[in-house]
Amino acid sequence: MSEFHDDYPSYEHMAHHSEEEGKTKRKALWRVFWYMLIITIVELIIGSMAPAQGWSGTLGLKVLFIGLTVVKAGFIVMAFMHLGHEVTFMKYTILLPYVIFMSYAIFIILDEGVYSGDPQNRTKVDPILIQQQLDLKNGHGHHDAAATEAHGEHAEEAHH
Amino acid sequence: MSHSTEIDSKHAWDGGQSPFRVSYGKMMMWFFLVSDALTFGGLLVSYGFIRHKYVDVWPKAENVFTHFPFIEQHLPLAYVGLMTFILIMSSVTMVLAVEAGHRNDRKKVTIWMFWTIVGGATFVLSQAWEWYHFIVGTETGALRNVWSEELHTYVQQTVYGANMTVNEYGVPQFANYFFFITGFHGFHVFSGVIINLVIFLNVLKGTYEKRGHYEMVEKVGLYWHFVDLVWVFVFTFFYLL
Repeated sequence: MSEFHDDYPSYEHMAHHSEEEGKTKRKALWRVFWYMLIITIVELIIGSMAPAQGWSGTLGLKVLFIGLTVVKAGFIVMAFMHLGHEVTFMKYTILLPYVIFMSYAIFIILDEGVYSGDPQNRTKVDPILIQQQLDLKNGHGHHDAAATEAHGEHAEEAHH
Repeated sequence: MSHSTEIDSKHAWDGGQSPFRVSYGKMMMWFFLVSDALTFGGLLVSYGFIRHKYVDVWPKAENVFTHFPFIEQHLPLAYVGLMTFILIMSSVTMVLAVEAGHRNDRKKVTIWMFWTIVGGATFVLSQAWEWYHFIVGTETGALRNVWSEELHTYVQQTVYGANMTVNEYGVPQFANYFFFITGFHGFHVFSGVIINLVIFLNVLKGTYEKRGHYEMVEKVGLYWHFVDLVWVFVFTFFYLL
């Protein structure tokens, strides 16, 4: 905007701050970094403990992980991307359309997912694979070829 | 934010000022990021839908991503944890470069931009490494019914690694979504590194010092944080859940 040479202050220059202000800002940014690091480490610890503890795939774990992710996303958008310090109008112009549209998309998959989750309503899956995953669930080895061979004799049409 | 200067209401809407109190360029960068976020949102929503559909044959990440460079051990999720750390770290160095730009501190902007580029490049290379191991697969492989063009029927065959039609980890859709979403994100990181490099060279040349402000650094910073933001979600949905 500087090429207009008007008397109005330009937004590019309004973002400037002094050395002291910079110090407090940097401190705040590093604090956000530590929060995010701690959240990520907690996620990884829980994630690596989950299979042994039998938490894998539980609703509580999913909600926890998605919740922590949203918290991290909030830190990035509000602190790093500075949106938390923009004017209210700007904040809602960016956030509201996105939140409304994504809420709709998530609602749709939750709704339609009930129908499509029924194995009858999907393309046939390789029976060997189904057996492998069952064996894995029941505590057999990951690639237990001997166990799967017996069940995978009749090759169904896996894909169309 | 030093919105210390009051804007005369007479001029507020006549083109002299933005009602959002941001520059035109920054606002357009935000609008672009919203549209890009919708693309990623759509991809992840569709991923969630297909994963739910094939939930019984969807592999668990801790059984797929178990490698770590130079260590011959079974270390699930360790490497992707490191990658996440690198990307968050480069986001921090980016925001420090933006902060230095607000003080017109060219030396600090240079240093922090440099580390951001190093972090971004490291992430892209890590992802290439991750893809390599995903594609090559394990030594044991897994048995599958694979369509044979010659015999016009399915034959049992041991499959190693992953491609677009079959993989040893689970349903084909798993590898397809992995390739597409992490590939799309990886391309964003790659182009982010290139854009950062261009801005870095301009900082070295003193373009922004002459201009009197470092808003370009702030704008590429927005893009860079967005890439980090997407990774936070990809990390959760592909590796944690």
